[in-house]
Amino acid sequence: MHEIDEAIQFRPASGNPIFRMRGLSYSYPDGVEAICGISTDIFPGDRIALVGQNGSGKTTLIKLLSGLLKTGGGELSYKNEPLDGRLLEQKSLETGVLFQDPDDQLFMHTVLEDAAFGPRQQGFSSVEAHTAAQRALRQVSLDKMAYKAPHNLSYGQKKRAALAGLLAMEPGVLLLDEPTANLDPSQEQVFLDLLKNFPGTLVCISHDLIFLYELCDRAVVLDQGRIHHDYTMRELVSQRHTLREHGLDFSFRLVVAPQVPEHGKSPHENPHSGGGRVSDRTPKQPVVAMQDYNHRYPDGTLALKNINLAIEKGGRVSIVGENGAGKSTLLSCLVGLRQGKGDYFFSGNPVTRKVQKKLWRRVGIVFQDCADQLFCPSVKEEVSFGLRRLGCSRAETEAGVFRALSMVGLEGFEERVPLHLSGGEKRRLALACVLAMEPELLILDEPTAGLDPRGEELLIQILRDLSVTLLLVSHDVFFIRELTGRTLVMHQGHILEDLPTRDFLTDERLGNLNGLAYTYRVQNTRDIQTLQHEHEHEHSHLHYHLHSHPHRHGELVHEHPHEHAHQHLHRFVHRHPGQGEKHDHAPRRYHEHDHPGHDKEPHDHSHD
Amino acid sequence: MADVIHIPLWYLPLLVLLPLVALAAAAVWLRRLAHRQSIAGEEPDWSVPPLASEKGDDSMLHRWDVRCKIVTIMIFSFVIASLSHLAPALAAVGISLIVLAISKACLARVLFRLLALAGFLGILAVVMPFTVPAHPGDTLVVFAGLDWLGLNMRGLLLAATIAARAVAIALLMEPLLSTAPLPVTLHGLSRLGVPEMASQMVLLSHRYVHVFRQEARRMSSGMQVRGFRKQTDFETLRIVANFLGMLFVRSFERTERVFEAMRARGYRGRFPEPVKLRIRPADILIAALWMAAAAALITYDRVIL
Repeated sequence: MHEIDEAIQFRPASGNPIFRMRGLSYSYPDGVEAICGISTDIFPGDRIALVGQNGSGKTTLIKLLSGLLKTGGGELSYKNEPLDGRLLEQKSLETGVLFQDPDDQLFMHTVLEDAAFGPRQQGFSSVEAHTAAQRALRQVSLDKMAYKAPHNLSYGQKKRAALAGLLAMEPGVLLLDEPTANLDPSQEQVFLDLLKNFPGTLVCISHDLIFLYELCDRAVVLDQGRIHHDYTMRELVSQRHTLREHGLDFSFRLVVAPQVPEHGKSPHENPHSGGGRVSDRTPKQPVVAMQDYNHRYPDGTLALKNINLAIEKGGRVSIVGENGAGKSTLLSCLVGLRQGKGDYFFSGNPVTRKVQKKLWRRVGIVFQDCADQLFCPSVKEEVSFGLRRLGCSRAETEAGVFRALSMVGLEGFEERVPLHLSGGEKRRLALACVLAMEPELLILDEPTAGLDPRGEELLIQILRDLSVTLLLVSHDVFFIRELTGRTLVMHQGHILEDLPTRDFLTDERLGNLNGLAYTYRVQNTRDIQTLQHEHEHEHSHLHYHLHSHPHRHGELVHEHPHEHAHQHLHRFVHRHPGQGEKHDHAPRRYHEHDHPGHDKEPHDHSHD
Repeated sequence: MADVIHIPLWYLPLLVLLPLVALAAAAVWLRRLAHRQSIAGEEPDWSVPPLASEKGDDSMLHRWDVRCKIVTIMIFSFVIASLSHLAPALAAVGISLIVLAISKACLARVLFRLLALAGFLGILAVVMPFTVPAHPGDTLVVFAGLDWLGLNMRGLLLAATIAARAVAIALLMEPLLSTAPLPVTLHGLSRLGVPEMASQMVLLSHRYVHVFRQEARRMSSGMQVRGFRKQTDFETLRIVANFLGMLFVRSFERTERVFEAMRARGYRGRFPEPVKLRIRPADILIAALWMAAAAALITYDRVIL
């Protein structure tokens, strides 16, 4: 482990901080130390990215700041007063906390009532509270949904409604826990705009450093409950070794060269699974084929319209589309959870009602929220569940469990409880459960949701090495580009385009249609690439050096070399190509440089 | 001594099976009608309150003070439940239909409520005529050759009375519950003496039952795609126990998170009052009129008949 940055104060302590932490600690009831000796200040107007691996103490720190947890030790003050008792109540009305799951936060009967809850608790009358709530709903573009019940909103709408509940209180501080997790790009952009326009102090937890780079100016890196670094966001993203040490290195996402080979085929793709319209090619026997397939929800909504689709063996196909485009419904039909009308063939055989019930033997799916798939008391039971249903013997099951866990890097986790695994481990376990059953078609629904960069990198390595037919539903352009050679664009229940991934990625029209035109992400990626390639910093040190300058000895004016010492700042521009690679760095101790005007500076010797 | 009427055996399907078939057909028709009614043509305008009272397009029941409404309908329901004759029970159904029409309640939801009762009432209508003990003065219908199977007309009448009472009360539930937002109704209950914590729990349960249902459905799908099919064996029991345990743990964790979110927004044990309740003379008058109708029903049932 690297050393903790001693100079952790981001800025000189000036003015009155909103939060002042000195030796702040907290331990869970089971004795596990979550926060350990944190000392820092949060000033008005700060925009802080709170980053670190899963389990580093970020959420606990947010809960301490919001007063939901009582400090276990040290000092925590809010506006120069210790945070307890009456002040705690006052602070909760001045601070907004946005939780990761919006369903936790929307507890009232309608969106409007929920947004008005905070102002009512602040002491405003019903009319004033509803006025504030309406204003906040307008800010998040949900004024048209004011009287809708929260459970009838989409996920993105719920997130915005939760934010509206905070904005209505006009808080001075916003504490955000993964504000954009699981949002599609267009919703993410809406959220970003809202937060950028927020005039107060922001503390934001996220694994998405590109988003944080756009939003925050200060980065606090937590590791095992301690602050390891506290510096600018630019410094954080530019130092790959620091990012890597904390499991935050997202540089693998910053690859400039296109990874999709010619003709839209991924490096791992079967020669038959490349891009091009289905109708343009003469495919071999496809694993999946749908013709004129429709699906209608029980309430009459036509969710899938005239779907025509063919995926050949070994093909790697992505499905993109805005929320509500019909992607998840299509997956449900493919895996046999729903049945629509039209022709559906699996490996050339029509999927009748009888065949549909047995599709689980041949199709594996990893849900967006993989916790929905984990219900057994141990990892081993979880992975062996599907194998037992397949009728495998005990020995085959043991071997299958071992093989699947090895594939996803979870060897030794057999006796662990799935519920207690981290987000990334749960995701890999859900994948192992499916891979153990050796499906002919593997479906991944938003595999990167909630993963930290290390988890993402690990997942992409696993998926690259698989030789299975892959269907990926994602908003993550990087994953789409890395893993698939063909992209289906869905819009309002039908497949709008079926084209090579490379063509899709360069088609701005389709990007805009699906909200995948990440303007700020593209720009930030370029900026970060430049920063990681070359960055500058400055440091001061004491110089002893010889130089000559005219000086007087009584009547005599002369010039000769002599030595003296002084301290000044040096500015360097150097490169950080990556861990393990050569580091082009100007030497600190011995290096040549000019000292313009130094003779005017204070000297340690007399010139008289 | 009971009057016995002997009829040919072929009357049996006519008298028993045909009503059953008719009831089943009615249930299917009701279900279809309710389903058609429940399909929304267009997304409603959620920027305005969904209840008619809040839009100005209200009914007497929407304007009625919620406490008066709860007390009056509850008392009226108890009166209906105490009726012992078919005629006043049918009169009660008539009153309930009038109230339903006045309240402009959603027909689909009323039909779904009736459908929920249909099975129970159907069984009652079939079983009671054959199981009610014969009393002197009863009329028994005996099918030729099946002397042990007597259809007691008093039983049939009793079943019809129970069905009418159940329908009359069920019809009143929609005017009671859908003419005010749930928080207002619960607030009214609190003002009538129901503990506030109980009202808050009902309100939160109503909000989160949908979330838990969706969570359970997703988990069930997760099991299905890995081959789980319910069977009558020990293994199924074990898996279902795991599923329920996990659902419970997740629900428990969610309740903790919800409570934290509530505290973070200033919750200190009380929800804000959704409305200021105020009883007007008109509210008392409506309640009095309704109680008079209830008294008339009781008089008709107990004194006149």
